[in-house]
Amino acid sequence: MKLEIITPDKKLFEGSVKSAVFPGSEGSFGLLNNHAPMIATLKAGTIELTEESNNKVSFDVKGGVVEVFKNKVTVLAE
Amino acid sequence: MPNLKEVRNRITSVSSTMQITSAMKMVSAAKLKRAQDAIIQMRPYAVKLQEILQNVSSSLDTSENAYARQTNGKNVLIIALSSNRGLAGAFNANIIKKTWSLIRNEYAGHNISVLSIGKKVQDAFKRTDYNIKGTDLPTNLNELFDKLTFNNVAPVAETIMEAFANKQFDQVVIVYNQFKNAAVQAVQVEQFLPIIPTASEGKSGSVDYIFEPSKEFIVNDLIPRSLKTQFYKAMLDSLASEHGARMTAMHKATDNAKEMLKNLKISYNKARQTAITTEILEIVAGAEALNG
Repeated sequence: MKLEIITPDKKLFEGSVKSAVFPGSEGSFGLLNNHAPMIATLKAGTIELTEESNNKVSFDVKGGVVEVFKNKVTVLAE
Repeated sequence: MPNLKEVRNRITSVSSTMQITSAMKMVSAAKLKRAQDAIIQMRPYAVKLQEILQNVSSSLDTSENAYARQTNGKNVLIIALSSNRGLAGAFNANIIKKTWSLIRNEYAGHNISVLSIGKKVQDAFKRTDYNIKGTDLPTNLNELFDKLTFNNVAPVAETIMEAFANKQFDQVVIVYNQFKNAAVQAVQVEQFLPIIPTASEGKSGSVDYIFEPSKEFIVNDLIPRSLKTQFYKAMLDSLASEHGARMTAMHKATDNAKEMLKNLKISYNKARQTAITTEILEIVAGAEALNG
């Protein structure tokens, strides 16, 4: 699935990922391919991504919101 | 007829002024580019945020939100954004003029405070009754423009939002220069708080989203976020406008200096010509007298 992390200052990440783990407001949650449409808020924590090449990337965020729609994940982070 | 030396001195001073103005123009052009880039970088975030917010709030009554409180209270906060430096044409004067007009016309009879960001408006309002005082709002925000990032701006927006939520103010407006293009800036008065309920266009809701944890929670999380983004956008616009205005002003100054230099060269040459003619006349007259 395609994933994008956008902050007000710049685009942090754009690319395909296998899975992603987010620090949700009510506890952390993971996303895999073909997830149902969802909007969720994040609290301060770390976003962990696994890219197609099994390469792991992580980003620290102060909070944000995630939109999942048709295998396209948009993260608005702060 | 102007003195030869006098004209020469003026030519030197005008050309050094021209050098300065054209250098300032170049510097502003570079800074404008950077400020414009920042606006472009921010746009996807703002658009997406608006989209999600609209999507979530379309079926929800947001008037209960702390930031949507509509009152008839008379405490108005005007946030005026200007630059720290002058030499930018009418950039700062327009902001100050608009703020005064808001105080005297639109909000006459209200209890007005002015929060100035940027040295120029601060200087203009520092000694008036409207200058913000007796609050916990930040007062010295001029350095904000030196390093304009979302993380620096967000805390300021948060304190303002908090002051509104605490009923310190009943209305907050931002006066700033909206960036149209490098040559055009429009003074804009934007209502910051209370939020104006977004007119839902009805086309949203076509997708069945799962809301995690809940719609209400998300809306309450998103509204402050979108307010911060709005505030940041105004700051970015103001910064880009400042550099645009300065660039135009300096361009004009350079052109004027060029024109002046041309006229001075002409009068310099005229003076030189006259001096030579006089000298020849004197020599010839002297020789005549000897031949007498």
